[in-house]
Amino acid sequence: MTMRLAPPSPDQFTSRLRSPAVAARVGLWLGICFGTCFVTGLISHYAQLPDQPIPFPTSPSWGYRLTQGLHVVTGTAAIPLLLVKLWSVLPKLFEGLPLRDVRALVLTGLERASIAVLVASAIFQLATGLANAAQWYPWSAFSFRTTHYAIAWVAIGALVVHVAVKLPVIRDVLTSDIDATSRDRATAATDTPGVLSRRALVRTTFAAAAVTALATAGSTVPWLRRVSVFAVRTGEGPGGVPINKSARAARVEESATSADWRLEVVVDGSTAASLSYDDLRAMPQHTADLPIACVEGWSAQGTWSGVRLVDLLASAGAPADRDVAVTSLQESGPYRRTTLPANFAADPRTLLALDLSGEPLALDHGYPCRLIAPDRPGVLQTKWLSRLEVST
Amino acid sequence: MKPTPRKAMRLALGAVGLLVGIYGAVLLLTRQDPRQWLEVAIWFGVGVLAHDVVLSGLLIGVCLLGGRFLPPPWRAPATIALVVWGTLTVATVPVLTRAGARADNATLLDRPYAATWWAMTGIVVVLVAVAGLVRSRRSHEEG
Repeated sequence: MTMRLAPPSPDQFTSRLRSPAVAARVGLWLGICFGTCFVTGLISHYAQLPDQPIPFPTSPSWGYRLTQGLHVVTGTAAIPLLLVKLWSVLPKLFEGLPLRDVRALVLTGLERASIAVLVASAIFQLATGLANAAQWYPWSAFSFRTTHYAIAWVAIGALVVHVAVKLPVIRDVLTSDIDATSRDRATAATDTPGVLSRRALVRTTFAAAAVTALATAGSTVPWLRRVSVFAVRTGEGPGGVPINKSARAARVEESATSADWRLEVVVDGSTAASLSYDDLRAMPQHTADLPIACVEGWSAQGTWSGVRLVDLLASAGAPADRDVAVTSLQESGPYRRTTLPANFAADPRTLLALDLSGEPLALDHGYPCRLIAPDRPGVLQTKWLSRLEVST
Repeated sequence: MKPTPRKAMRLALGAVGLLVGIYGAVLLLTRQDPRQWLEVAIWFGVGVLAHDVVLSGLLIGVCLLGGRFLPPPWRAPATIALVVWGTLTVATVPVLTRAGARADNATLLDRPYAATWWAMTGIVVVLVAVAGLVRSRRSHEEG
């Protein structure tokens, strides 16, 4: 007997579960998850732009927390949906090409190419997103943010093309009984005794998506913390808030704890104020309940106290309606120097925080002083402040 | 021949999708350099192979074995368990490997993921066994 290794032919897949009826029902929810990820991803990308044609709003303060939490939760829930969707259409991978008919060959080839792009970009988005949410960066050359953003457009474009191609089949199977066979492959005729019905498979898939979401969403939904046994974070941390980047990783341990630390306020290129920690403590203190909401999808509500940015700018003689360049003690990194848009600078909830939960900031939370503003991505809530610059 | 409204709508939808996808490709090509394109291409290829060959091949093997060795009353519980347990396992690879853990950050990856996964796997096996035995007995009584 000889063994021959060859790709299977579609005829060898005889299960009735691998059908358009299952693919369309799972695919509909997969499309909803991808659409949600796309829209919330655009919001997150826009919120991080240094120059925004329309300013990102400061209210509601939990807006970014909601959209980015949704982004990561729907992306995670899409993993079971994508795996079952691809399983249900696997026989199509092995279909032959109509080599004799040039027109059909071109059309089939184009459709296959669009499917290849869709599958590859969908797997890419979920894999890179999932890794990033766990702060795992197994790539070395490409930039996660730029690439995840660009491929999102590729994936959504390929998805829209796929829906356009398949629309008659989708409409047909979604409006028919799930067990209707008119759209099945001719060879998909076997019901293995004891195996699930189509309806049960679809329900199991939705349950798997729900379980996956619940098992991980506790990083951003506090009341799910006990259920979310696979969440990247328990939500614990100094002052009840987790840490993304430690002082050691940012290499600020020495500069942030130095007695010489000053917060410089620079107006039109000249230093208008140079404030010590005690100077900041001596100014009127205010408290705000604001979330830290990270791009990685975790978030936590904190009670922050410190000096209002508007008060500080006014005392330094700077106008309140200008963008503020915010610099950290960090010596490198893309977020060392960022721009706080004018509407955030003018919001009375925006603080130069000295305390979290009634205690001085932990070094890893940005001691001596950090920025905290409403409705802002966590990476832009600059820690270990060293300088604020305003141009009139 | 004039296309029907439905066909025209599909063509328009397809054209929109094509433009959106091309925009994404242009973003990638203009904002990353060739070394970065190459790494993205490798990730595309590895992702598709990991699914289409490794995972799908594994699953076909598991289903063949299940079809041969599992009595019919055991198959539905085993399939449900495989879908939920298997997809959850894929989705938890980054926390199970703890690849992003850092010695200087105790608030990251701060749960006993591997122990939880083993416990979950044990519970799933027990549930399938209980469901299989109950269904076997029931079909035996009915048969």
